[in-house]
Amino acid sequence: MPIYFDHNATTSIDAIVLEAMQPFLSGTFGNPSSLHRFGRDARAAIDRAREKVAVLAGAHAGQVVFTSGGTEANNMAVKGVTGLMKPGRVLISAIEHPSVLEVEDALLARGWQVDFIPAKANGQIDLDALRVMIEAGDVCLVSVMVVNNETGVVQAINEVAEIVKSAGALFHCDAVQAAGKLDFRFIDSGAHLMSLSSHKIYGPKGVGALIIDKSLDIEPLLHGGGHERGLRAGTENMPAIVGFGAAAELAEKSLSERAAHCSALRTQLENGLAVLPGIQIFGQDSERLPNTSQFSVPGYDGESLLMALDREGIAVSSGSACSSGKGEPSHVLLAMGIEEAAARGAIRVSFGKDNTSQEVDEFLTVLGRLLGHSEQPLADRFSGVMGHS
Amino acid sequence: MSTRPIYLDYAATTPIDPRVAEVMSQYLTADQDFGNAASMQHDYGRAAHAAVEEAREQVANLIGAEPAEIVWTSGATESNNLAIKGVAESYADRGRHIISMKTEHKSVVDTLRYMEQQGWRVTWLMPDDQGRLSLEELKKAISDDTVLVSIMMVNNETGVIQDIRLIAEMAHAHGALLHVDAAQAVGKIPVNVKMLDLDLLSISAHKLYGPKGVGALYVRRQPRVRLLPQMHGGGHERGMRSGTLPVHQIVGMGKACALLGEEFGNEAVRISKLRDQLWQGISLLPDVFRNGSDKEVAPGILNISFGGVDGEALHAGLSGMSLPIAISSGSACTAASQEASYVLRALGRDDELAYASVRFSLGRWTTDSEIYAVVEALTELVNALRRQSPKWDIQTECRLPEMSGTHAQYSDAVWQNFVKGLNTAWEMPETAFKVICNTPGSRAVMKLVVLVEQEVIVSAQCQVFGCVTAIAVGAWLSAWLKGRQVAGLDLSAAEIEQALSVAPVKRHCTLLAEDALRMFLQVGRQSNGIDQLVAS
Repeated sequence: MPIYFDHNATTSIDAIVLEAMQPFLSGTFGNPSSLHRFGRDARAAIDRAREKVAVLAGAHAGQVVFTSGGTEANNMAVKGVTGLMKPGRVLISAIEHPSVLEVEDALLARGWQVDFIPAKANGQIDLDALRVMIEAGDVCLVSVMVVNNETGVVQAINEVAEIVKSAGALFHCDAVQAAGKLDFRFIDSGAHLMSLSSHKIYGPKGVGALIIDKSLDIEPLLHGGGHERGLRAGTENMPAIVGFGAAAELAEKSLSERAAHCSALRTQLENGLAVLPGIQIFGQDSERLPNTSQFSVPGYDGESLLMALDREGIAVSSGSACSSGKGEPSHVLLAMGIEEAAARGAIRVSFGKDNTSQEVDEFLTVLGRLLGHSEQPLADRFSGVMGHS
Repeated sequence: MSTRPIYLDYAATTPIDPRVAEVMSQYLTADQDFGNAASMQHDYGRAAHAAVEEAREQVANLIGAEPAEIVWTSGATESNNLAIKGVAESYADRGRHIISMKTEHKSVVDTLRYMEQQGWRVTWLMPDDQGRLSLEELKKAISDDTVLVSIMMVNNETGVIQDIRLIAEMAHAHGALLHVDAAQAVGKIPVNVKMLDLDLLSISAHKLYGPKGVGALYVRRQPRVRLLPQMHGGGHERGMRSGTLPVHQIVGMGKACALLGEEFGNEAVRISKLRDQLWQGISLLPDVFRNGSDKEVAPGILNISFGGVDGEALHAGLSGMSLPIAISSGSACTAASQEASYVLRALGRDDELAYASVRFSLGRWTTDSEIYAVVEALTELVNALRRQSPKWDIQTECRLPEMSGTHAQYSDAVWQNFVKGLNTAWEMPETAFKVICNTPGSRAVMKLVVLVEQEVIVSAQCQVFGCVTAIAVGAWLSAWLKGRQVAGLDLSAAEIEQALSVAPVKRHCTLLAEDALRMFLQVGRQSNGIDQLVAS
């Protein structure tokens, strides 16, 4: 059985979640907008799921709008809020997920100015820089993720919220990687909008949510039909929404247990990595998600290492799955001021609830062997190794 | 309500075919190919990617497209949004004019309304009374600054098919692109994007026995249609639509399309036959009207307006019978809004007929015996409602199917009295005293018939044309009146509202009853004693 250490990219569906979804794949198939019994059954199931997601998010059920995933939630937040305002400035942290960063073009096309909040070497965004940028005026919206998907570094969301609030701007936070892994609640966050995704917490792909402060006016991203209080059109993705609800409920219940489990695995991993020469762990001095460790091996190209690990049956990634295969170094690491060579050598390990200590041991053994701690020279084991040393 | 209703609402959504569910369930759990299709660096991701690409081919094959012309979306609503906004933003330099129809699905209508707010000119073409677009109208509207024509292939409410090939010809002759919402067409009638010469086509999985939450947009490659993405980040789907792909849903859609490729011909014939049987049965009733063309129509859809009945009462009755029927009055997307269908009004139906309409949509698991049962139950219900109505004069006996249980929208008291009203036989002598009234702001009509002997009400009956609550109030009032002295008789709308737990939004029904009663008393007093009037 291969080893899966890429839970920040996606998770498998938990058996309990699948069981909750199952009826909605066959018997309970109604369209929730229909007034007959099939439709009413579906509607009731959506409302129950909404409650569960709200509990995990620390929000009211009425604030939850279901979307097709985290990407749609992020797009909807940034485009939706700005869509109803007179163009001004939007501040986006330089380490955001592409689904926030790449909204830039759409904003520019509508006459907005977009500025990027720089990050520090420890993986946190630069709050002093944020203050200066805010004081320059005209800021309508600030978007900062709760935790970074690559380094796992936790951002000082409450402080960001304070700064944003002082300028009277709106605050969106992408909590896709935080939800279910960190005790983070919308009502305590000071944010006006918050994005969530189901498939990062053992729920199905194809569903996410945007939590929206009800006092906010927001332009829908998808028009037609008036679903989700007129904020998001389209027939609701029933089985996925129900699965999301079940996954949220599980995540909420087992949050500390999962965190402790992953944290122990990561300590084991990073203790093992410390033995290998020259390994640099990114954001290690900052508070991080318990399941994430991103590091670089000096002198090696990350993509090639990943391929070699893959051949050994170990699935890890270099960073975001959404930008994988493009051969470009991580924008997150570059924003942190990491040298390009080191950034190119980055590997991200992200643990899940079902990973074991044995798997970590095996990973360390394989990595050690690939890095030359074996009878065979590394260069013979896989091609494409780029020596930078 | 223990019996599972007969499902005749396949146009709202279809069940997932078990063969589709089977395939979907292989891409979920830890021991399966659950990976992120963008994670090309490991097996989990590559396996997911391969599954997605196979599905892309299956969808492309069904509509005669190349796999690279298929963009995954979260459903037809997103496909329609992406097609219209994506083209508009990409070709704005060519002109700012779009042509569409009044009878499009909400997701096209609302998107175009948004484009109007953005400064675009939208021409809304009216269909003829058969629901068909006249090419003459299109020709008049189209000009060289028309960027896009967006027309649905099969209407979701009436099933009417447009002549897309001719529309494409005309659009292209003026340099405009053609987008076709084919959510109700693919898998039901032949759709080939090359033969039809289409630029953009929206598909939904959950209308063709696939899962909800996934759809596709066909985007022509040669000549290439440019599309500005509406969802950014990560550059999935060749930059046209970002977001982690829902692999299990996508393979489900692929499988559903592959099955249709094999089976759709036989299925269409079978379903058309059932639809014709249904219409033959229902058309034996007087004053029923088929909405839209009966020739250019997709196999599974039949839309009928019933004269002389109220739409809400009709629908509540259908879902409240011991053999309930799940149908809709039109689009599920507008069901909750309780408005008369804008599609039927565009076909020239008045509000009352548009409101008293039923869309039957048949599908893969509809059977002969279900159709037979529906014809029988519907006939009885319509007869019972018409017998209730002062606008009709039906003396024949109706064997109404048993009405059972409660109905979530109404209080128990309202529902029980509605059922009682429908099951009451008409037994008032010709000599009884009659008043008829209606009330402002409502279409409801109440006829109150009272038999008085020596200042005591011996019996009373109400005939009501109107909604469930109006009929219930009528039945309750009849029972309340029986045995009371005429002198000092008084009853306010508020008291009726309280007695039946009537929802405030239905207050016009209780006012109707109050008016009827006061009219009865007033006319009685003016004429020196009710006894004398009774005979007149």
